[in-house]
Amino acid sequence: MPSTHHQIPADAPALTFAMPASPPTVGDAKILLPLSVARNAVIDVRALLVHPMDTGFFRDASGNPIPAYFVNAVTVMYGGEQVARFEWTSGISRDPFVRFPLRASREAPVQVVWKDNKGGVYQQSVDLKFA
Amino acid sequence: MSSGKTSRYADRGDRGDGDASGDGSANGAMGGATSVGRRGFLRAGVLAAAGLALSRPLLAEPAMAAPRMAGNRGPDDEMIDAVRQLLKAKFGDRKIQYGHVQFDIPTDAPDGRAVPAIMDIDLPITPDSYVSAYYLMVDHNPDICLGTYHLTAASGEGPIETRIKMRRTSYVRAIAEMNTGELWSAAVKVFVGLNGCG
Repeated sequence: MPSTHHQIPADAPALTFAMPASPPTVGDAKILLPLSVARNAVIDVRALLVHPMDTGFFRDASGNPIPAYFVNAVTVMYGGEQVARFEWTSGISRDPFVRFPLRASREAPVQVVWKDNKGGVYQQSVDLKFA
Repeated sequence: MSSGKTSRYADRGDRGDGDASGDGSANGAMGGATSVGRRGFLRAGVLAAAGLALSRPLLAEPAMAAPRMAGNRGPDDEMIDAVRQLLKAKFGDRKIQYGHVQFDIPTDAPDGRAVPAIMDIDLPITPDSYVSAYYLMVDHNPDICLGTYHLTAASGEGPIETRIKMRRTSYVRAIAEMNTGELWSAAVKVFVGLNGCG
């Protein structure tokens, strides 16, 4: 009697969600644009940065205070022109995420620059293309 | 909301401008439906409608009055001095009106470490009239004004979404500053379980 069970090929990819190859480190950044962008449409841009955003009020397991370490300035450049600027404090959650509007007036790179209170500068950019 | 543009969040209800009389009448009609029959339900509905029609002019409040929930004190009554001073320092004597800001934030936040907040405005956005900045304030946080989002005419219209930390139950205020100088705001009381600020 032939088996009715579906045979999974040996070389099939695993059905579990793959863990990232390396653990996320401070400064890893992503920018997500919509899949298709029409000219002059207002799009939602999502930007995510991996950052602890420590408030300075917590203590670690051995009782030592964890110093404040957070992103305090974000700038958004679109084709070399600043279109938005965010001032943050440690009240923004860890791995800060932001979604903001942008009018897609031309094909140009969208760049987001994060600066933290310890002098760290992180940036990520994606090319906006009409489709 | 007295604006020409339809609300993006109409299906979620308008938390910003909760009206005590409207909510009470609706609850009364619902109660009649469960306890008495159809006739009683109709009578309760007529009474509620009559009460609503009568109470509207008696309230004599402007359309953009401070949001007020039944049984709760409003955001202006619960404003602490630190927030008052901060608003004074940031905006001087400019009038901050309630309305036009669509502020989407959960009223219950079991985890204060990450509370999603979406701010939007339902005014028409043009190159001559746009939101120049959104201010996000939490009354009882160590840093009250925890995020300022400066936008330009190149931004266009759309929501700002972010995730914030909250120390304890308090009002969260979203203030939109137009480039013309108008200030519109919304305030929502968020009940926080876990302290997210330390």
